Amino acid sequence: MNSFPNLPGISLLTEGAVFLTNDSTLIVADIHLGKSAAFRAQGLPVPEGDCARDLARLAALVERSRARHLVIAGDLFHAPSGMTDDIETALADFVSQLEIPITLVVGNHDVKIQQLPAGLTRVHLLDLEPQLRIIHDPTHVSGDRLHIAGHWHPVVKIPDGKRTSLRLPCFLFRHHTLVIPAFGSFTGGSILKLGPDDRVFVPLRDEVVELPPGFAWRTSLA
Amino acid sequence: MSTTALQPFFSARDWQPFEFQKQTWSAYLAGKSGLLHAPTGLGKTLAVYLGPLTENLETKSGCQVLWLTPLRALAADTLRALREPLAEIAPHFEAEARTGDTPAALRARLRKRLPHTLVTTPESLSLMLTHSDFAEKLAGLRCVIVDEWHELLGTKRGVQTELCLARLRAWFPQLRIWGLSATLGNLTEARQALLGSAFENSVEVSADIHKPLVIETLIPKEIGLFPWSGHIGTRLASQVADEIEKANVTLLFTNTRSQTEIWFQELLSIRPRWKDRIAMHHGSLDRAERDLAENGLRDGSLKCVVATSSLDLGVDFSPVDQVIQVGSPKGIARLLQRAGRSGHQPGSVSRIVGVPTHALELVEFAAARDAALARNVESRAPLKKPLDLLVQHLVTCAIGTPFAPEPMRREIQSSHAFAEITDTEWQWALGFISNGGAALANYPNYQKARLEDGCYTVDEKRLIQQHRLSIGTISSDPAVSIKFVNGHTLGTVEESFISRIKPGSALVFAGRQLTLVRFHQRTATVKPAARAGKGQVAIWGGSKMPLSNELSRAIARRLRGDGAPALEMDAVAPILAIQQTWSRLPDDESLLIEHARSREGEHLFFYPFAGRLVHEGLAALTAFRISREAGESIHTTQNDYGFSLTSKRGLHLDEETLRLHLSDENLLDDLVACMNTAELARRQFREIARVSGLILQTPPGQKDRSQRELQTSASLLYEVLDRYDPDNLLLVQSRREIMEKQLELTRLTAVIRRLQSAPMHLVEAKNLTPMAFPLWADRLSATLPAGDAATRLEAMLRTLNVAADSIRRASTVP
Repeated sequence: MNSFPNLPGISLLTEGAVFLTNDSTLIVADIHLGKSAAFRAQGLPVPEGDCARDLARLAALVERSRARHLVIAGDLFHAPSGMTDDIETALADFVSQLEIPITLVVGNHDVKIQQLPAGLTRVHLLDLEPQLRIIHDPTHVSGDRLHIAGHWHPVVKIPDGKRTSLRLPCFLFRHHTLVIPAFGSFTGGSILKLGPDDRVFVPLRDEVVELPPGFAWRTSLA
Repeated sequence: MSTTALQPFFSARDWQPFEFQKQTWSAYLAGKSGLLHAPTGLGKTLAVYLGPLTENLETKSGCQVLWLTPLRALAADTLRALREPLAEIAPHFEAEARTGDTPAALRARLRKRLPHTLVTTPESLSLMLTHSDFAEKLAGLRCVIVDEWHELLGTKRGVQTELCLARLRAWFPQLRIWGLSATLGNLTEARQALLGSAFENSVEVSADIHKPLVIETLIPKEIGLFPWSGHIGTRLASQVADEIEKANVTLLFTNTRSQTEIWFQELLSIRPRWKDRIAMHHGSLDRAERDLAENGLRDGSLKCVVATSSLDLGVDFSPVDQVIQVGSPKGIARLLQRAGRSGHQPGSVSRIVGVPTHALELVEFAAARDAALARNVESRAPLKKPLDLLVQHLVTCAIGTPFAPEPMRREIQSSHAFAEITDTEWQWALGFISNGGAALANYPNYQKARLEDGCYTVDEKRLIQQHRLSIGTISSDPAVSIKFVNGHTLGTVEESFISRIKPGSALVFAGRQLTLVRFHQRTATVKPAARAGKGQVAIWGGSKMPLSNELSRAIARRLRGDGAPALEMDAVAPILAIQQTWSRLPDDESLLIEHARSREGEHLFFYPFAGRLVHEGLAALTAFRISREAGESIHTTQNDYGFSLTSKRGLHLDEETLRLHLSDENLLDDLVACMNTAELARRQFREIARVSGLILQTPPGQKDRSQRELQTSASLLYEVLDRYDPDNLLLVQSRREIMEKQLELTRLTAVIRRLQSAPMHLVEAKNLTPMAFPLWADRLSATLPAGDAATRLEAMLRTLNVAADSIRRASTVP
């Protein structure tokens, strides 16, 4: 766990989550529960497997981090057609076992989901501190306060100059917004087009490291 | 046969039927299927077409002949060629083409009623199988003719053809199937693949008319100044222009699309007055641009067309009297095919002039001539059991007519590709298209085909729609289209190329010098460049074709000094003499390895003569094995003749050690470990996922928002399958395909076995030899990526940080 430079109290976790040390809040985004089920419902043979494991991973992370509040920055769900009984049961179990408040900041995929398990609070945005707001879509920022958002599933491509490259989910800090990677394992991502002032953080072994400044500028020349 | 019906047709033209035509007609009338192997020209069309045409001139019973062509672009030409005899012999019959290019109105008309002769592609035929009344409409079908079968053989579209034919054979057991093929090393196997269970009692007809063929080479005036490596070859451009001047119409073939652009510009700058008399042709140009070039060739209004393999196939350009090949022909069949583009009229001579791009290609052209005149051409191995296509075809069939599993299994096994399908594979495929089955237990609530009264059927409209869009197996990677401001499209380039060009900068594409205006969402807008100048020439990715076995054997024979005297060998003699003095001449009966030292450290050069793909595999393999012991990182390069290893130290090895590193022990495991096959297989999976219907196709130009939730990437699907259904047979297929495609695994295995027993010549070279130089000079070197992702990332970050530091230091200097 390392502290986010210049912003004390914010830690980036290698699991692709953010931890606010002051009030022990864990923030994740874009889990997309039921995505593979939505595919199957439309006649595309994609195996089940991620949903239960993603929730188990999240539960373990809550436990490890001793979080007292879990915030999901949008897209907990994928689509109504993916909401099978199994998933509803798994989610209800997850919520009841966690025993901490859970807030869902509604994402574009969540809008169509009618039924939420008890214990899950649904909001459109969440102001945690006067200067910190959690939203889903990074373009919906307002004012100079710090925002934490999801939605983009940011991924960075690091070339090694030898015809190969690594593609890694990453944290992106742009203007006053921290965009966090997708937590769900069947989510994919989009490779970022980076500007000169963007800061990019990637998990490396047991810490999150920042890519050298000017990284984007130089790789776009390469 | 009613030869009387044919008499006027032939006598009006003062023709005598060829022997092979008569043979084909009588075999057809005897109820046989077969393969006709003949040079291109009207002769073979008449041979296969006149049988079914004249057999029944009376009844009007719908579609009687299906003509399959591998290329949509060929359909119009074929139609022209078929309508000529049709109009004279049976004017009451019609011929039409139905391909992806067919206008909607005609397509709708063809849905209602089929003509006597239907020209179509494998994809369109597959699509028609999804219509429930198709069998009924074909009730009068007598014959299916598969044109250019050698082009389809060995590809997934070939297997798609095999499966469609199996379906037609099951409907009409008396159906006759005839294939047309250019010369292949394995004609019998080609016939087996085409006919499947109908192979027995079939015939091979060979038109033994060898068109006179002349293969010449442009000899560089000063061999001493001619480069030892390179691939563009414009050094000889003015000599080439002189050759073009001498002929009436020239087709100039290059090996890559970029080379086409470069040569086009080069010829224009040497002969500016040819501005409106030369054109170019390659696969990324817009249809309209290509039509211009093709029409110009047909009516002889062009002096020269610069082209890639997009013009290899059988279109008839009679005015062409000279073909020029720039750079290695790579294979004998390809050289013959390209040479055959000239001298199209019966009785005339095919002439091809080779243009070497570096010294050793002189040997290649001499060798290619030896092999071409001996008709020693390459084989094409048919594909076996591509399951992605099987599941696609099964859904296609289920949409058309519900099928029972057992008869369908027999039908599928009647094709050559799936003759040996196992129980497990068959059950898996049925599960994949229906509701999972035992092997797909991890797929709750999934259903595509339903089982009803023991038959598989797909009747949900949305699924049918979805499937029709996904029929077709040619990969189409997302491309960026290049347009003028007024909307006129020039063609497509790859995103990786255009994204490196800044608005306002110059580029060369479609033979034009252009300025990029903007690049936005898959469209790059351009305008003509204001000033003539050097712009970046468009480049495309994709691997280069490897040298064929047949050609490399012929080269080895030439290097051993065999063969008739040749101008090429005289010209290259001084360079071969240097090679001989400094080291020795490599061949394919022994293995020459050179060891050399330079400022970079040590080098090893190996010359197995097995084509660049095999060499890439061998290079990675030996680098992996040596570095596993020595711990040094090793750079590798490869070309068609050999490969090189470069390292700081540790390459001074004795014969025994080298033999150990080249052994076939643990071959597959070591290859998997060193080639990053997981990553490669993931990329290969893209095609498989699309063919098998795992990825939805969106109709061109349409963005269906309701399907947005179902968009995903093939690589993500690969990961999900790998994690939660690792035994999925599509993953297995993807790994197998990538080994074959990237490394020619079958060939690599054979080569490594050959090297085991071949004598080894280990030479300490004082200088880089003429053979070694191109390998050393290839700066696009790949390093063996060592370690896991985290180690690699650490290394990358170190490099990035060093670079960042140096920039920081540079910027603080006053």
